[in-house]
Amino acid sequence: MNASRGLLAAALAATVAIPVTACDPGSSAEDGRTLNVLIGANSIYPTEQKQWFADVSAKFQQQAGAKVTFETFASPTDELTKIQTSMLSGQGPDIYALGTTFTPTAYSTGAFVDLTADQWTKIGGRDRFLPATLGISGPDATHEVGIPFTSRPFVMAYNKELLAAAGIDKPASTWDGLRQQARQLTGAGRYGLAVAYGDGFDPWKFIWAMSIQAGNPLVSDGKARLTDPVTVKAYQTYLGWLATDKVVDPAATGWKNAQAIAAFGAGKAAFLPMVSATSKVTLDKSAVAGKYGYAVMPTVPPGATSLPSGGVGATSILSGDNLVIAKYSKNQDLALRLVNMLTTAESQEAYYRTFGELPTNAELANRLVADPALAAIVDSASKAHGTPFHGGWSKVQLALVNVVVQSVPNLAAGKVDDTSLNALLAQGQSEAQAALDKAK
Amino acid sequence: MRAGPGWLARPPPRRRRGATAGGAAVWLLAPGGLLTLTVIVVPFVVALVMSLLDLDQYTFRQWLSAPFVGAGNYVEAVGRTSLPHAIWVSGSAAVIATLLALPLGVAAALTTHLPFRGRSLVRSLYLIPYVLPAFVVGTIWRIILQPDGVANQGLATLGIAGGLWLNGPKSYLALIVVQAWSGWPLVYLLALAGLQGIDDSLHEAAALDGAQWRAKLRHVILPLLRPPVALAAIISLLHMVNSFTLPFVLFGVPSPHDVEVLPVLTYVESFQNLRFGLSAAMAVISLVLILVPLLVYLRTVRLDEPEATA
Repeated sequence: MNASRGLLAAALAATVAIPVTACDPGSSAEDGRTLNVLIGANSIYPTEQKQWFADVSAKFQQQAGAKVTFETFASPTDELTKIQTSMLSGQGPDIYALGTTFTPTAYSTGAFVDLTADQWTKIGGRDRFLPATLGISGPDATHEVGIPFTSRPFVMAYNKELLAAAGIDKPASTWDGLRQQARQLTGAGRYGLAVAYGDGFDPWKFIWAMSIQAGNPLVSDGKARLTDPVTVKAYQTYLGWLATDKVVDPAATGWKNAQAIAAFGAGKAAFLPMVSATSKVTLDKSAVAGKYGYAVMPTVPPGATSLPSGGVGATSILSGDNLVIAKYSKNQDLALRLVNMLTTAESQEAYYRTFGELPTNAELANRLVADPALAAIVDSASKAHGTPFHGGWSKVQLALVNVVVQSVPNLAAGKVDDTSLNALLAQGQSEAQAALDKAK
Repeated sequence: MRAGPGWLARPPPRRRRGATAGGAAVWLLAPGGLLTLTVIVVPFVVALVMSLLDLDQYTFRQWLSAPFVGAGNYVEAVGRTSLPHAIWVSGSAAVIATLLALPLGVAAALTTHLPFRGRSLVRSLYLIPYVLPAFVVGTIWRIILQPDGVANQGLATLGIAGGLWLNGPKSYLALIVVQAWSGWPLVYLLALAGLQGIDDSLHEAAALDGAQWRAKLRHVILPLLRPPVALAAIISLLHMVNSFTLPFVLFGVPSPHDVEVLPVLTYVESFQNLRFGLSAAMAVISLVLILVPLLVYLRTVRLDEPEATA
C-alpha cells in the first residue's frame, strides 16, 4: 500500500507541479527575492488594481530590494483550487488574501503560519489593528493566522426621500421596528425592503445576525444550534417579510444581491439591508444617487425591544480580507515585511482612497469616523462580530442558506409553513453537526 | 470522456500483420499512450484512491496519509446524502429532455434537407442553441424564467399564472425544457448528416414505385436515419446527465430539491463542504452509471469495425 501510495504521490505531484512551475518562472524558491501574492480580482476597479500592484511592487523594491508579483483569482472556488495545488506541491503564493469567513477553513488546513508574538511585532503589533477586525484571525488570541487587511462591513442603505415622505426621521434600530417602517413604506408599486432571497450567501448573514443578537452564535463548543427557538424566530421573521408581511417584491425569491441593489437603485424599495460600501459605486450611478444614505442594521433581535441578556449587538458579520502567509514559503520574513508595509496607516489610506474599502489600521479608522458619509460604515466595522471560528463553518453556512432555498416555494405561496421550516431546520442541524463532528 | 470510447474500445489485435510489423510500430503508440496515461489513467486512479480516504480540509495537506475508510464514503454517499435522489433527477430529466429533443432535431433536419432560398441562414439559426456556451444559455434562461420574467409575462397575457420556475416542483420542468432547448441541435446535426448521406437512387426508386412523401418518410428515410439518430440520442443523454454548468447557473447552489442534479451535488461536496473523499466517491458512482449508456453507445456505433459500415 505504501509503495503504491508513494508512486501515486509522485505521479500526482508531477502532474500538479508541471503547470505550476510552467506558469511561475519567477517562483520564490528560485531567487529568494520575489514574493508572490494571491489576491481577489477587483471587478469594480480592474485598472486601478493593476496600478496598485505596480505601485506596491515599486515601493517594496525600494524598501526591501525585492519584487512583488500579484496573481488574482476570480471566485472563491478558484482560490480554493489554487490553495489546494499549492499545498500539495509545496510551492505557490507566499501570501494569500482570504475572505474573512474562509479564514477558519484555511486555518483548519494547517497550511498557514500561526503568528508568534515576535512575528506580530514585525508587522507593527496586534495594537496596530482595529480590535474588532482581529475577531476572525484565529480560534483565540494566541493562535492567529489572519492579518486583517481590509474591512467591508455590512450596513443598510435607505432612501432618504421615501422615508421623509412617510414622516420617518431615521431607520429603526430593532428588527420589529424595521418591519413596521417597511410596512408603512410599502405601497404604490414600492416595497419597504429589497432583500435577495435567491442569493447564495445573503440569507445566512441575516439569520446569523438575528440569532447572535438573541444570544445564539449558531455554533458553540462544537455544537450546532440551528433549531434553537431564537433561530426559528429569525427564519420566521426573514421569510415573513416576503410571505406574510408583503413588504418585499414577490419577485425577490429569484434575486441575487445585485438585483436587490438594482431594485433599490431604481427607487422601488425604501431599505436595502445587507450591503457593503462597495454598493456605493452602483448606487451613485442610479436613480437614487444623492438621495440615499447608509445606516447600521438593527441590533435588537426580532420580538425584543432591547438587547436581551446574553445577546451580542452585532451590526454585521466581520467581513473583509485577511492576509495569511503560507507555511511552505521560503520567504516568510520578507512576507512579513510586505504585510507590515501594506498595513501602515499610509498604505491603507491609499488603498481606501482607491478602492473604497475600509482600513483595518486602527489609527486611520479612527480618523475616518469623523467623515459623516462614512460614519455608519465605520461604526458597523467596529461593532461587527466574527462568525464562529470552526473548520466546519462552510457547511453550517450552506445548511443555513439551504433552509431558505427550500422554503422559497412556500414563500411564493404566501406562507411561512412552521412544520416544513422545522423539518428543514432539523435536517440542517444534523448536517451541520455532522460537519462539526469531523473537526480534527 | 471524449477520448474514452476509442481507447476503451481498442480491440485485441485482429490482424496479426500489424502487430508483427516490428517493435517500431508499437513504439509509435508511445506518445499517445503516455498522453492517455496522464490525461485519463492517472487522474482516474487518483480519484479512485481519494474515494477510499477520509479526505477533507483537515487532512488534505498530507492527503496520502488521510485515514483509509474503505467503502465508507460510498456507503455514506448512497445512504446519508441525497445522491440517490440526485441520480433520479439527473437521469430522468436527461431521458425526458432527450426524448423531446429527438423529434425536434429530426423535424428540423427534414425542413432544411432540400435546397430553398435562405436555407443556409435557417441552418445557421438552428445552430444557435448549440454554439452558445452553457453559462450563457443558463443566464439567458435564468432571466427569462424569473418570477417577473418574460416567460411569466407571456403566460399572464394568456391568463395563466406562471408562478415559480427556478424553485419548487416546476423547476424540474424548467430543467427539462432548457436542456432540450440546448440539446436538440445536436440531434439536428447528426440527422441532417444522415439525410444527406441517403443515396439519391433510393429517393428515385421510391418515387418510381409511386411512394407519397408520407410513405417515403416512414419506410425509406426514417429507417435509414435510425443509426445517426440513435447515436445522437446517446450522446445527448450522456451530455445531459453530465451537465454541470447549465443547472449550476440556472438554479444556483444550494440547489432547490427538485433540481438537485448529480454533477452539482458532487461539486458542492467538494468545493463548499470540502469533503473531497465523499465527492470522489460520488464521481466514481456517476462514472459507473455513465458507463451503462456508454457501452450501449459503443455497441451501437461499433467503432472497432469502421469498414463494416462503409
